[in-house]
Amino acid sequence: MNPGDRVRVERAGVTNEGVLMPSTTADYLVIKRDGGYNVGIEREDAEVDVLETDVYDVGDEGEGEDSSVVEFDDDLPTIALISTGGTIASTVDYRTGAVTARFDAEDVLRAVPDLAGRANYRGRVVANILSENMTPEIWRDLAAAVHEEIEAGADGVVVMHGTDTMQYSAAALSFMLDTPVPIVFTGSQRSADRPSSDNVMNAVCAVEAAKSDAAEVMVCMHASESDDVCALHEGTRVRKSHTSRRDAFRTIGAKPLGEVDYDTETVSFRRDYAERGAATLDIAADLADDVELVKFTPGMDPAAWDYLEGKSGVVIEGTGLGHVHTDLIPRIEELVDDGAVVAMTSQCLEGRVCDRVYDTGRDLLDAGVVEAGDTLPETAKVKLMWVIANTDDPVGAMQRSLNGELTEQSRPWT
Amino acid sequence: MSEYDYEDLGLVAGLEIHQQLDTATKLYCQCPTARREPEEATRTFTRYLHPTKSELGEIDDAALEESRVDREFEYLAFDTTCLVEEDDEPPHHIDDEALDVGMQIAAMLDMSVVDQAHVMRKLVVDGSNTSGFQRTTLIGQEGQIETSEGPVGVEDLLLEEESAGRVEETDDGVRYSLDRLGIPLVEIGTKPDISSPEQAREAAERIGMLLRSTGKVKRGLGTIRQDVNVSIADGARVEMKGVQTLDDIEDLVRLEVQRQVELLEIRDELQARDASVGETQDVTDTFEGTESGVIEGALDGGKVTAVPLFGFDGLVGHELQPDRRLGTEFSDHAKRHGAGGIFHTDELPAYGVTQEEVDALKEAVGAGDDDAVAIAAADTETAELAIAAVKERAEAAIEGVPEETRGANDEATTRYLRPLPGAARMYPETDVPPVEPDPSEVEIPELLTERVDRYQAEFGLDAGLAEQVAFGRRMPLFEQAVADGIDATLAAGTLESTTTELRRDDVPVQNLTDDHLLDVLQLVDAGDLAKEGIVDVLTVLAENPDLSAEEAVEEAGLSGVDEAEVRAAVEEVVDRNEEQVEEQGMGAFSALMGEAMGALRGKADGEIVSSTLREEIQKRS
Ligand SMILES: [Zn+2]
Repeated sequence: MNPGDRVRVERAGVTNEGVLMPSTTADYLVIKRDGGYNVGIEREDAEVDVLETDVYDVGDEGEGEDSSVVEFDDDLPTIALISTGGTIASTVDYRTGAVTARFDAEDVLRAVPDLAGRANYRGRVVANILSENMTPEIWRDLAAAVHEEIEAGADGVVVMHGTDTMQYSAAALSFMLDTPVPIVFTGSQRSADRPSSDNVMNAVCAVEAAKSDAAEVMVCMHASESDDVCALHEGTRVRKSHTSRRDAFRTIGAKPLGEVDYDTETVSFRRDYAERGAATLDIAADLADDVELVKFTPGMDPAAWDYLEGKSGVVIEGTGLGHVHTDLIPRIEELVDDGAVVAMTSQCLEGRVCDRVYDTGRDLLDAGVVEAGDTLPETAKVKLMWVIANTDDPVGAMQRSLNGELTEQSRPWT
Repeated sequence: MSEYDYEDLGLVAGLEIHQQLDTATKLYCQCPTARREPEEATRTFTRYLHPTKSELGEIDDAALEESRVDREFEYLAFDTTCLVEEDDEPPHHIDDEALDVGMQIAAMLDMSVVDQAHVMRKLVVDGSNTSGFQRTTLIGQEGQIETSEGPVGVEDLLLEEESAGRVEETDDGVRYSLDRLGIPLVEIGTKPDISSPEQAREAAERIGMLLRSTGKVKRGLGTIRQDVNVSIADGARVEMKGVQTLDDIEDLVRLEVQRQVELLEIRDELQARDASVGETQDVTDTFEGTESGVIEGALDGGKVTAVPLFGFDGLVGHELQPDRRLGTEFSDHAKRHGAGGIFHTDELPAYGVTQEEVDALKEAVGAGDDDAVAIAAADTETAELAIAAVKERAEAAIEGVPEETRGANDEATTRYLRPLPGAARMYPETDVPPVEPDPSEVEIPELLTERVDRYQAEFGLDAGLAEQVAFGRRMPLFEQAVADGIDATLAAGTLESTTTELRRDDVPVQNLTDDHLLDVLQLVDAGDLAKEGIVDVLTVLAENPDLSAEEAVEEAGLSGVDEAEVRAAVEEVVDRNEEQVEEQGMGAFSALMGEAMGALRGKADGEIVSSTLREEIQKRS
């Protein structure tokens, strides 16, 4: 008896006939009945008859037959679709019952037919992971792939990415690449296996943004709960701020850079951006892998920071203007003396750190802490990884903006 | 309506009953199951749906045909709905209370509860579910109910989430209200064991009674929906939706049998005539300068299409159900594609279409005396789609009865809605883990029929009142009142007869809360309000629901009548009728009693007035 077999199961006077499902466990047989319902039957005392083997190939998604070769249209721009996995191109794994990513970029085209006719596409798979499994190694691969695509003539790049760590990857590419074309990250908050998924609109808007004039690394996701407008966030100022809503992504401290109207397909911007073609394509993908982001909380065991010993960089998420318990300051001093760059950010998220106001702050500055301004903690970590590997003066670099991650003036909500 | 021998015809019918549950929270979130008015919405948002493949890789044609995919759906959200209804948060664990009620219903239907329940997604792309699917779970199997014509098997019991309520059509799509989305719903499907219209009604009645016996089902319009499946031998399975009342079930079954019998008769005649359906064609030219308003209206930019129906003469006008002919069925199909309807030669000349035009039409499509022609007039696309649909339906008529889903009309006739839904539109809801229901603690509640018997035996209520109370909405309140020591007859009369009378007098009884009613009964029980004052006090309360029962008594001018006042009022009446009392003695009692009660205007208890009056009459005579 195997998944895919047609079986008849009798137990306690009830007969169930249907296809044995892979979600069957040691305790329960799971049958898909002819009406479509799944039902779990305790194995104990169950009498099973296999009526027909391999009636249905439960492992196959029915790929192949409807995969058509997309014709190249000279009048359309070329957009590279790069997949890293994630819910925009995911399906149900009914062995585990979870939603997993398993489509490649070609499948994305098939899954989102609305993309057709907007551009010529070049699909590419860099990884097939859930975004919580993202690593700096994959960032390097991703940057290299994007670089290659642009070099090969792509007029824009759309990166399909799981939403959990999208902001880190977007920040990483912001620092690693000088780009003459838009690089747009998108994904979906609600899985692609539901008719209501946000994947179609997000993908369509991301392609429109990738065709636009803004040669920036951006995140393109729903601006509200409605399927009307996608927001375009700068890759270094964006944060996933809700666990499940479609409009989970927010630009911190300001309105999003721009937006895409789903209905009219117009892309508009609120602020200046790097124009298409202004920059020369370049890549610097090295990263220092031994950089940590740590959060200070009241009552924490100072021993928690013992493992920072020997790291080349540490980003602290301090309280308020950028503070930690006074008792931790000597520890920071040791790290700095040991050669680490220790940067301060705030768990307030909004606003910049300022360690000149209170005694604790002044003591932190004396200990060698670098203020990262209003850089977001997550962005600061990626940035520190990059500046240690790519600049001579990481301390100076952490205090100025390289890619819009640190604003000069606090001028909120514009 | 002709009466048939249903056994002879091989009538097979089954029921599908959907009932909303009255649980504290919804099936997959902690929101209340309260209904709201659209005006109370706190937010709105819009969505599109993009249908996907089901687990078995097939898209359900019926589900897709049900709606156009490019429609924009607008949703109304309330302070009683949350992100789960908005499909912006994963569903929570399946609601325990709903599962308990489900298991109780399973027990009452003599069903086996499944060992492990798997939540499924049923594809629904008409926007009535924000997710694009309805969550539904098989929880019971293999049950049975009794009817006077024998047992009826119950196939399955499903626990599902109710869809969002349709508020209205908008320019771009449909507006839905999220208050209803996620209310637990049980769906009970019987086996096709029903063999007469009466049995269909009885089975539906029985299941309805069992459901209401749980005390956990919603009441009122739209909270229960019945679908009826009917076929006869040689006929086909037809699913009828949207059946409103139990009476309709009987008529619907009867009329569907008639429809299938008549369709078979038409089939036999068509086959005997070697009938066939020709190709559709454009006959716009034939109607140039027509007097027919309908056709002329369509000709401006549109066209007239026709299909010749060879050998159909006289049969398109053949009646299937009261006032519904084969031609009406053609029309139903044309309407689904946006046409206003069709004309056919069995009913022409009429509607401004002349005999000459009919002749020209027949000539144009090559139809002779034994043939019929159907035409559609509309904008070009609609006219083409409509006539193609008519062609398809006419071809089916030669084969017999088509399988389909039909909607109930007011007169228990039905109209074509869509093809029967396919089976493969279900895939697992991966956001909710399977549950193992434990039916060992489930108790079968007292059935409402048993309750009627008990109310008669225990409280001496008459059969009619006992049934009214037991099946009524205020049964739990009645139980509470009786438990509080209030006289059962008083409670039953007040909660049922009195409120019915008040409703008849246009008193807004819907404003009366359980507390109002219970408080009033308690005032009577405590002797602070005369029974005769109940009507006045409830009227005041219904009109001023913010008042307390005590305040309402005062407002009605019924407070503060003590025994001395009663005696004074009675003395006055007796004085006024001194002669009568002297002449008739106790014989004057009834007349004076009425007068005394009138004088006291219901402020005093009848028994006290009566005993005081007796004393006073005795004194004088
Ligand atoms: Zn809710």
